[in-house]
Amino acid sequence: MASSGSGYDLSPTTFSPDGRIFQVEYASKSVASSGTLIGLKCSDGIVLACEKLLANKMLVPGSNKRINTVSKTSGCAFTGFVSDGRQIVNRAREEASSYLDTYGIPVPPSVLADRLAHYVHYFTLHGALRPFGASMVLGCYEEDMDEASLYMVEPSGQVFKYFGCAAGKGRQGAKTEIEKLDLSTLTVAQGVKEAARIVTMLRDDGKDKPMELEISTVAAENNYVHKPCEKSVIAEAEKWAKEQIEEEEDMEEDED
Amino acid sequence: MSEFLDQSTPSSAPSGFDFSLSHRNATLSSDSKSSINMVAKKTGTTIVGTVFDGGVVLGADTRATAGSEVADKFCEKIHYLAPNIYCCGAGTAADTEKTTELISSQLSLLRMSTQSPSRVVTACTMLKRMLFRYQGHVSAALVLGGCDISGPHVFQIYPHGSTGKLPYTTMGSGSLAAMSVFENEWKENMSESEAVDIVQKAITAGIFNDLGSGSNCDVTIIRLDGTVEIRRGALKENPVEPLRSMINRSSKFTMGKGTTAVLKDTFVKAKKGGEEDMVTD
Amino acid sequence: MASLLHPSQTSNPYNLKPGEVSSGTTIMAVPFKGGVVLGADSRVSTGTYVANRASDKIAQLTENIFCCRSGSAADTQALTDYVKFYLQQWEVESGRPATVKVAAHLMRKICYQNKDNLSAGVIVAGWDPVSKGQVYNIPLGGTCIEMKCAIGGSGSTYIYGLTDALYKENMGKQETLDFVKKSISHAMARDGSSGGIIRTCVVTEDGVEREYIPGNKLPYGP
Repeated sequence: MASSGSGYDLSPTTFSPDGRIFQVEYASKSVASSGTLIGLKCSDGIVLACEKLLANKMLVPGSNKRINTVSKTSGCAFTGFVSDGRQIVNRAREEASSYLDTYGIPVPPSVLADRLAHYVHYFTLHGALRPFGASMVLGCYEEDMDEASLYMVEPSGQVFKYFGCAAGKGRQGAKTEIEKLDLSTLTVAQGVKEAARIVTMLRDDGKDKPMELEISTVAAENNYVHKPCEKSVIAEAEKWAKEQIEEEEDMEEDED
Repeated sequence: MSEFLDQSTPSSAPSGFDFSLSHRNATLSSDSKSSINMVAKKTGTTIVGTVFDGGVVLGADTRATAGSEVADKFCEKIHYLAPNIYCCGAGTAADTEKTTELISSQLSLLRMSTQSPSRVVTACTMLKRMLFRYQGHVSAALVLGGCDISGPHVFQIYPHGSTGKLPYTTMGSGSLAAMSVFENEWKENMSESEAVDIVQKAITAGIFNDLGSGSNCDVTIIRLDGTVEIRRGALKENPVEPLRSMINRSSKFTMGKGTTAVLKDTFVKAKKGGEEDMVTD
Repeated sequence: MASLLHPSQTSNPYNLKPGEVSSGTTIMAVPFKGGVVLGADSRVSTGTYVANRASDKIAQLTENIFCCRSGSAADTQALTDYVKFYLQQWEVESGRPATVKVAAHLMRKICYQNKDNLSAGVIVAGWDPVSKGQVYNIPLGGTCIEMKCAIGGSGSTYIYGLTDALYKENMGKQETLDFVKKSISHAMARDGSSGGIIRTCVVTEDGVEREYIPGNKLPYGP
């Protein structure tokens, strides 16, 4: 071994001498370099928004989704390795339906998030397995508690409950922008627009690949059913977002 | 033997279960001409248990029957489960014996791992789980009694795995006779001697009024202070000795010493490490 | 198992195995505005012999959910043990008290999956902060029906008419309790395998109240 600390990144089963698991950190890196993903807990529901980077100009719009429905009142969005993310979505659906089958009620968001975190964490424990290169944001509604909640599961298997969360390339900027919002009064309808603005704002059109914006909601006006937003709603939100961004830029120019 | 073996059964099983006796039994019982009785020995029984102020008293008769025949006049029906827990068994003798043995062993392992005395509810739960698993095919009807940290307890356990916690209970074919005594005389906060009296009376009622029960009355007292008293044959209502002594055998049938004449003596002397030499006189 | 006859119309109502202990029973549960009342007689029989004359057929599943048992004593005891265990797991995972709906669903599921081997008719009832007092009836085949007044066991056949006549919407706690006691008294009077004392259990937001009526103080008659 060349120097202390090298050779410890081949498997998640061993800690490095300074207490790190490199494979898990590398997995987080693959999330950090992919499309921006944000989740907002608004006053009347949840907004999930995802920047889907298009690898190929010939992709059919709406294909290869990053936001999926898990159960009637819960949706999830992921970013990072798409195939890894789909694996977690699959698991989420299995957990949700088996829970409904055994207990006769929809799975509570906290339980679903917890079980997914357990699943993801399991992949960081075994030599024969590779951690997931995807972060997953869950937006769910629970009837018994009359509450919509937002969770994010990370490649390490950590899970937290959020008012607003972000993952992917633009996460730092997104978090700053989300903190500026007043989430206790922001409605889902406004949240959709703000989400579009934040994702669009953080892009560098010169450098970044072309993208498709995906947005979904778990909103009171839809009886908290998880629903991907209509194309027209997204287009409108993007239009509003661009206007806002231009306005801001104009103001900045004026200040100069 | 071979005619009883199934074709598919390997003639010499190296290890594992051996079902050759099942084949033999099936063949024997399918033959209508055969009158071989292969019913397990059942104990028509009276067993009882009651709590009193300072502990519990368990009682049992000592008759074991095989059909209409008394198989054992002085058998033990109060089994040890733990130092502070005993269990009376009615039903198939082998089943009650093995069931209590098994649970007793599990309880002792549990005591070793938890470093604390066994509880009566634990024994009850283990017994009911086992009996329920066997869906009534293990014929053990039990009266479980003992003292633990939460006081004196008596449980009744049926062969299918249902249980009941009661201040006094009776089981077995003589349970009706015994219960009539309890229902008539039992009261709360009895002293030990009162409890023993009532238990002996209940068992006696079983011994005299139930054909399946008989011989003597065994009593086991488990006290809250942890002491246990086992009174084997506490009551001997049907003593055999006086009956035997009543039989006057004629001296004509008694053979005195030297009745058989000695015709010849032969001694054989053992030789060290060699062959024997016959010595004849 | 699939019998078209009502339990009371067959000679062996719960298809018991020979010698099996049965709760030939009267059980009942009724929700009211602030909670729920459960009631049961106390007789446990083996054939014609009363195996236990003061048994408790109202089993506790969680802090605020109870269940009345009828059918094979062994089966229903095992069944409630299982449901109790699963509900404890549920409460630990969810971090809050179980709801009556979940309890009833678990009971239904186990009853249905093992219907060939079980003879159990149970009523799950209790109070939870989400849906308040509720009663679910789970008869032999493993269906689960939420009811405003559930009766079960061999004695229930004698009091269908009585409960239909006495039941009123929006009864208070004491009125519901009296209704349950009266109904069970009448079932015990006509059904040979119901008897002993009446045990009741009232579950409300404030907790659980349990009481019993001795066999010589039953509110039988007009």
